[in-house]
Amino acid sequence: MSLRVLNPNAEVLNKSAALHMNINAAKGLQDVLKTNLGPKGTIKMLVGGAGDIKLTKDGNTLLKEMQIQNPTAIMIARTAVAQDDTSGDGTTSTVLFIGELMKQSERYIDEGMHPRVLVDGFEIAKRATIEFLEKFKTPVVMGETPDKEILKMVARTTLRTKLYEALADQLTDIVVNAVLCIRKPDEPIDLFMVEIMHMRHKFDVDTRLVEGLVLDHGSRHPDMKRRAENCYILTCNVSLEYEKSEVNAGFFYSNAEQREKMVAAERRQVDERVKKIIELKQKVCSGNESNFVVINQKGIDPPSLDLLARAGIIALRRAKRRNMERLILACGGEAVNSVDSLTPDCLGWAGLVYEHVLGEEKYTFVENVKNPHSCTILIKGPNDHTIAQIKDAVRDGLRSVKNTLEDEAVILGAGAFEVAARQHLINNVKKTVQGRAQLGVEAFADALMVIPKTLAENSGLDTQDAIISLTNEHDRGNVVGLNHHTGEPIDPQMEGIFDNYSVKRQIINSGPVIASQLLLVDEVIRAGRNMRKPT
Amino acid sequence: MWATGRRVLLAHSKLAAHAKQIQSPGKQVYATAAAIKPETVRRAQFVLNRPVKPDSVHRDLSPSTEHGGSHFWNFQDELLGLAEERQGDPVYKSSSLNMDVLYRSGETSQGILTYCPRLLSIGYKAEPREKNIFLQSLCEEETENLTSNVADQGSSHPQRQITDKERIECLENGVQYWTDFSKVQFHPRSLYELHGSWTDVEKFDNYGIGEEILSAGFQSEEMNERLRFFIEECDHIQGIQFIVDDSGGFSAIAAGFLEEIADEYSNTPVLLYSARSPASYKLGKSPKESVSRALHDAVSFSRLSSCCKLMVPVGLPSLSRSKFSSTLFVEDQKLFHSSAIYAASIHSISIPFRMESHGVNAESLYVSGAMDVGGMVQMLAGQARQNMITILDLAMPAQFLNDSNNQSTILRSLCSLTPEIEENNDDLHSIESLIVHGAFSGGRRASISEVEKYIHTEYQNELPRPMLYHLTAASCPLPIPLPFPSIFNNRVGRLGELSTAQLAGAERRGSLEVESVPMAARLRSSSAIKPIIERRLGSLRRYGLQRGALGVELLRSWGFGKEEVEDMGEALEKMMMLLDPNAYAASSDFDSD
Repeated sequence: MSLRVLNPNAEVLNKSAALHMNINAAKGLQDVLKTNLGPKGTIKMLVGGAGDIKLTKDGNTLLKEMQIQNPTAIMIARTAVAQDDTSGDGTTSTVLFIGELMKQSERYIDEGMHPRVLVDGFEIAKRATIEFLEKFKTPVVMGETPDKEILKMVARTTLRTKLYEALADQLTDIVVNAVLCIRKPDEPIDLFMVEIMHMRHKFDVDTRLVEGLVLDHGSRHPDMKRRAENCYILTCNVSLEYEKSEVNAGFFYSNAEQREKMVAAERRQVDERVKKIIELKQKVCSGNESNFVVINQKGIDPPSLDLLARAGIIALRRAKRRNMERLILACGGEAVNSVDSLTPDCLGWAGLVYEHVLGEEKYTFVENVKNPHSCTILIKGPNDHTIAQIKDAVRDGLRSVKNTLEDEAVILGAGAFEVAARQHLINNVKKTVQGRAQLGVEAFADALMVIPKTLAENSGLDTQDAIISLTNEHDRGNVVGLNHHTGEPIDPQMEGIFDNYSVKRQIINSGPVIASQLLLVDEVIRAGRNMRKPT
Repeated sequence: MWATGRRVLLAHSKLAAHAKQIQSPGKQVYATAAAIKPETVRRAQFVLNRPVKPDSVHRDLSPSTEHGGSHFWNFQDELLGLAEERQGDPVYKSSSLNMDVLYRSGETSQGILTYCPRLLSIGYKAEPREKNIFLQSLCEEETENLTSNVADQGSSHPQRQITDKERIECLENGVQYWTDFSKVQFHPRSLYELHGSWTDVEKFDNYGIGEEILSAGFQSEEMNERLRFFIEECDHIQGIQFIVDDSGGFSAIAAGFLEEIADEYSNTPVLLYSARSPASYKLGKSPKESVSRALHDAVSFSRLSSCCKLMVPVGLPSLSRSKFSSTLFVEDQKLFHSSAIYAASIHSISIPFRMESHGVNAESLYVSGAMDVGGMVQMLAGQARQNMITILDLAMPAQFLNDSNNQSTILRSLCSLTPEIEENNDDLHSIESLIVHGAFSGGRRASISEVEKYIHTEYQNELPRPMLYHLTAASCPLPIPLPFPSIFNNRVGRLGELSTAQLAGAERRGSLEVESVPMAARLRSSSAIKPIIERRLGSLRRYGLQRGALGVELLRSWGFGKEEVEDMGEALEKMMMLLDPNAYAASSDFDSD
């Protein structure tokens, strides 16, 4: 073989072996993830090297945690993870779709068909499916006040595939409200403005939406109030600790007295800053019942804390940088970088600020704010794996709501799109295609059916029965999805099962691309161990 | 091979530990001491009203540093334990060293008080292993203590089958991970594992692969969060001690992290030790690998030095063939050995940071020359020359102050742990910070004033004399904890005194034979550091900057374009220029090329 001449050490797989390696890897990965699809999918338990346990049915998490070695599987996994990065969901579906495309192709290739012809067929089918998707989608108008119901339905569809039903329904309201809270007209939605906090405390159903913020630290002075109502919030990034200025460190004094003086002078500067804050407090709080809270990104040292405490101010130091931004969005006011220009306009407002202590962990809740544009989803759960599971689900839920708001369209779920697209490809598109590429279109159409098939399989139904009744019902002119309880066809619109438009589009786009590339591989050359490295 | 990671389970399983000690013949093993004393609690609350509480946070990046870190915290733990012991040596009780500088008091959710290192250690995952005898005895101790609290305290312990000798032997032969010999209780937030897609640990050996981990994003955020947790607790943060093994991908992670630290805590000085094991010098045989190594060294040196205030490169290519071999037996391939020496030197350097501060002129019987991290950085790097790469010298154990033969003095017995430096450098502008602790004078521990007087005289006689020096003296020696490797030779006595004759007994002496050692360590800012910078600048030019250089592609794959590499080169040139203004002309010639 010619390559042997180039590099005698290379490990080479020839044409059919290479193709079958790719196909088998794709099928293998599909088999692993298949059982997790849909609301009735089962869960996988991942045990780490140190015995740490993770329970998940989220395809994205699975692909990241499984240490995949096979190069083909790695390629597929990367496509699927990229799918998650861009659209937030659909990882499992991507893997299934790619696997099924390979599986369908295998049939034809074994009969002696050239992969190139199949790939041409895929390309035609892909374009036709995308066109069909445009027709099939249900447009939703997202004006000033979006239709909350439709958002809830999309979120519910996503969440129910990740968590059990009761919890999913509870989280549905939370994620929808969270996204609507941070949404600003004419601006892209920044999901980072939803803080996700977790507490190992109580049960998963105690998870709630906090309109405001939860900070993971508390005040550091025993005399500061642990609970305050009607609070002015000062968000600042001002050092309130005595720092040795660089010039004065160490060697520029000759006796103790001089040093004391220097220290005192520097201390005074810090005290001045604290006094300015106290002045502002006195100005806004005198004669009313309100309180004053300082949340600082920099440090506050004990003497400053003392001064603040004596003035009845609650002070938190070393706040997370991102929380500074969130605080402004939640409470109003502005972030202050210097105390020189303090005015009451800089202040935000919160109805309630209180501290919650769990062991040595302290949490500060800033709640009951006016017109918040940032909020916190506080995840509670009895153990780490429950929390991790909810966290993953919440992320996906948030993304699905965001996608819906941005797409201004949804797709009917429960396999309805796949069934309809297949019938469209077989009945309409295939006829327009010349020659053997028809078979590629057919393979593509059949591959689409993997979604409803797997849904049926995971629900313990008979796959063939379910598919036949679905296609029959569809040919009667109805849009049908699969009822995973009974196996009967249902109208997803009536049941409120909606998927994201952008997720579906992305799957249809990326799946065939990677499958085509894998099919066109005619040789695998492994020059060293480095080739296995997923870089 | 050395270090392939650490076990996590184990560190967690020790969490609920109480203060405990076992009385085994000869030597005590202390696991987390000083945890539940009423004073500790009071102190914790008192902190808020004290004018200045110096805290410092300690950072570790594996793998050889994890070993070093483990030794370092074992020393601290031993100090805490010895200070608590009733019939112990008074030198530990009244050490005047404030452990709160390095430790934090906390409480678990069960309400048990804890006293843990203020430490963030970043490493990668490894397979769990069986506990060795040493760790088993730590665990037994724990359960025993819990039961003996209920039962009669005076009742005799069940017969112990395992002797300390066996424990030490099992460590000598079997240490692979840092948790194998750690006896310290860590806070759960202290240990962070990196998740990455690289398939095996040996491949985690260059800058690029570390960069990849960081670019995933979420991990660096989590690391910052954990650091913030410890810093938020500090009333007044002194500085951050940062140790990184810069021979592999961790230097990229460290550089990224340091950048964020510099950004977020801009006024907090960072003291960086970049340590590498002797074993790491053996990497890179083929020409391609050696280009990669040379560039890795250059890039990580340049990036790391750009985001800290003071950098100390540590790690000789061979310790067994260095001057240290006159008192120490070090097996170069054992990370357990070399890291013990690094940790001892870092311990000594950190002594001035935790002295109870009584102002400049205040006298103390036990310590003198307190300095905070910022002060030390300012002194060494802030003077006219602004050189921030310093040399670490060590004498372990330190000489007698007045050696009757008067042949070797403390200053002359110091040998460098920093590689690639000029040996006989007579720099008139050097600045030194010398720390001597636990030194002997004749047959007894020298008093602080004796140490001061003696060292000052030594400096008077020394030529060339440094432009500026600072002396820190403490009476408390370095205690040798049980899981310390047997690296002393038979000239080292029970209290670390050096004898000219060989002592009877084992050839290699470890924690059973040696209880403590006097130490001298020095940070030196001197032009002797030039070769280390020169070589890195050289490889950057040869492989990265010259036309058609071999390493351009490699650098690009690590994420450095032409301009970035040029900037790095300029930064290194500037360092050279500060050390030796005459060299600048030569380098500017190069630029015009």
